Amino acid sequence: MPDYDVVIVGAGPVGAILARVLGEVESPRPLRILVLESGPAVGRTWAEYQGNHEHYLGAEVKVPNTPWVSSTYAPSPDVLDIRKLVPGSLPDDNGYFVQYGPLPFGTDYVRAQGGTMLHWLGTTLRMVPNDFELKTRYGRGVDWPISYADLDRYYELAELELGVSADVGDQAYLGITFAKNYVYPMFGIPRSYLDEHVAKAVDGMKVKLDGKQYTLLLSPTPQGRNGMPNPAYDNGSGYRPRGAHGADHVGLRCEGNSSCIPICPVQAKYNPLKTWGRVAPHVEVRTQCVVSRVIYAPTGSKPVAALEYYAYSDGRPPPTKPDRVTASVYVLAGNSIENPKLLLASGGTPNKHVGKNLMDHPYVLSWALMPENIGAYRGPSSTSGIEILRDGNFRRDRAAFRMEVVNWGWDFVTDSPFSDVETAVDRGRFGSDLRSDIAGTVPRQFHLGFLYEQLPHPGNQVFVKNGYVDALGIPRPCIKYDVDDYVRKGMAASRELWNQLFAKLGATEHTRYYESDPGYVTYDGKPYSFIGAGHIVGTHRMSKTQGEGAVDSFQRSWEHENLYLAGCGSMPTVATSNPSLTMAALTFRTAEQILDDLGTR
Amino acid sequence: MKTARSFAALSAALTGFRTVDLWGTGQVDVYLDELIATVGEDVVARLLAAGDEALVSSDPKKALGALLADDELGPVGRNVIVLWYSGAWRPLPGTWRNRYGASTLDVARVISPASYRSGLVWQAIGAHPKGANGPGFASWANPPTVPGAG
Repeated sequence: MPDYDVVIVGAGPVGAILARVLGEVESPRPLRILVLESGPAVGRTWAEYQGNHEHYLGAEVKVPNTPWVSSTYAPSPDVLDIRKLVPGSLPDDNGYFVQYGPLPFGTDYVRAQGGTMLHWLGTTLRMVPNDFELKTRYGRGVDWPISYADLDRYYELAELELGVSADVGDQAYLGITFAKNYVYPMFGIPRSYLDEHVAKAVDGMKVKLDGKQYTLLLSPTPQGRNGMPNPAYDNGSGYRPRGAHGADHVGLRCEGNSSCIPICPVQAKYNPLKTWGRVAPHVEVRTQCVVSRVIYAPTGSKPVAALEYYAYSDGRPPPTKPDRVTASVYVLAGNSIENPKLLLASGGTPNKHVGKNLMDHPYVLSWALMPENIGAYRGPSSTSGIEILRDGNFRRDRAAFRMEVVNWGWDFVTDSPFSDVETAVDRGRFGSDLRSDIAGTVPRQFHLGFLYEQLPHPGNQVFVKNGYVDALGIPRPCIKYDVDDYVRKGMAASRELWNQLFAKLGATEHTRYYESDPGYVTYDGKPYSFIGAGHIVGTHRMSKTQGEGAVDSFQRSWEHENLYLAGCGSMPTVATSNPSLTMAALTFRTAEQILDDLGTR
Repeated sequence: MKTARSFAALSAALTGFRTVDLWGTGQVDVYLDELIATVGEDVVARLLAAGDEALVSSDPKKALGALLADDELGPVGRNVIVLWYSGAWRPLPGTWRNRYGASTLDVARVISPASYRSGLVWQAIGAHPKGANGPGFASWANPPTVPGAG
């Protein structure tokens, strides 16, 4: 008899949801579940969580991973490691990733209980129906083995788990439909003053992009953060917002702390710690346990025989021997880089799609100064966007994109508002002159963020290579990454959009890209600098038939019946929506399938 | 105490905030200690003496401008402004370090989480320190206001 019914690798959002759902089984008996997390626990109590926040406030450099401690033996990639690559030189192994280029993969993640969703923004857009049929509709990429209709019910479960605030009427565009009488748990988060200002100019505005005319609409963004509960939720049962883990009276509404990335100080924004707080106590979670190998059975109906892992303590010498654990069902819920890394490091004959088709949303910013004060640096990072350009016939030709309006001035692009102070002071300003200089410019700052859909290319990939190992001797992720002309042409179309928007708003553009930027690319003679969006997708994609992908539509490995590869890696295409909501929806679908496997549904 | 009062008075004149605003942050003594630890007692004494003199002169604005243009005291005075606005110390210019010495504390650093929260820039722009002092649900939908210089 195996040690456990289910072993889950990774205590991020996917592991949390699986542990919660599977842990609820009572008959014929509770399931024996073990979760192995490579990183540390960072928010078991409210005090521990607040420690992360204080650490962030006192840090000189504030990036997404700043509040979350990294373990020596389970390092996390950090955006501070990203450098411009030197073509033809040795790969850049400056950070945790080994970057083969030609462009650096500019995305981080968090290895800790709670995972990278500890520092997600909170955007919870559903995918549009055509996103599931990119190949059929536009001859690009691949289709998904499931449709929007297959996911609708699971989107509802995800929207409940993540506590989404939105209004159905705002979200029903480009063929997105909702079940009859469905409402989100909470009403939409109020839009920022900046949004209203932009909406006045943008709604109904006609723009020309690659020679075709479009009518614009600024849509409120659905968000996994607490707003006003909708009494009509669940056929009139209503909804009670969930507060912070360990302090459930805190964070019942978004308070506008304006630091969603990297940390919501009150946990009004969903994070997986909230789900962990609801996991049945008999579910075992072991942090600081790095799974190093999947061990396959030579024969028999259970192709995966065991997992091997190292239990470590920070500040102590590395463990010399791995432990072993066995289960009826194994779930790899690392992430789209840790999952394939583990499989590729485990030997055997991995499915040929594992590690391939790495995608992200290359993210380009453009920034400008409004003619008047629009109240910059207030509210969640983004509360509205242009969503209606996420689908169209142009996808035969170039990447679709979504555009977010960003409420945080130029903080991301120029280290404002501190850089504005320094510049003014170094120009000799002081006293009330300085104060009115700052007051007269900084509150007028805003920027736009563009997320482009990247196509699956086998050449964009995660792999392992001798000689590149971490402190436990486990292979590190090696990455080849590039951004093709499909994306770059999308960037060019977005430039047409922002030019027309800035003109209509009377805003003065200040966008500047430098050749020294790590993500500097050109298209049609014009420069763009992209950064990673943290939306890592595609490296163990799902498919309708074996041979086309690594997992079936339930995220079960085609070759190994008792192994699931769960998470964004299963998404065959990245489309334009921030992937967390869809990832959560897929997880609920997988949980049902695992319950079927175990005969407990 | 006399030193702290001089420091608060000079800081107020340099930042455009009132001394009462600065005392209210709880950072006056903290920043003065940090300044002394970073550039030394002698430089701070000269800075505050020059500040006292400038503030009682017939044209304080002009005198403060001259102070900020001084080779030795100017860069320190400018750093004091940045310190107040951001809660962080920024390294002095290389030319200053070469001439007057390089302190081990002369590195980019946020003094403390409390000093970050007290950064004056947020008040100056009518916002709140990013990551703290959240102004409340839906406050971001309200028209912005920028409090005037005191």
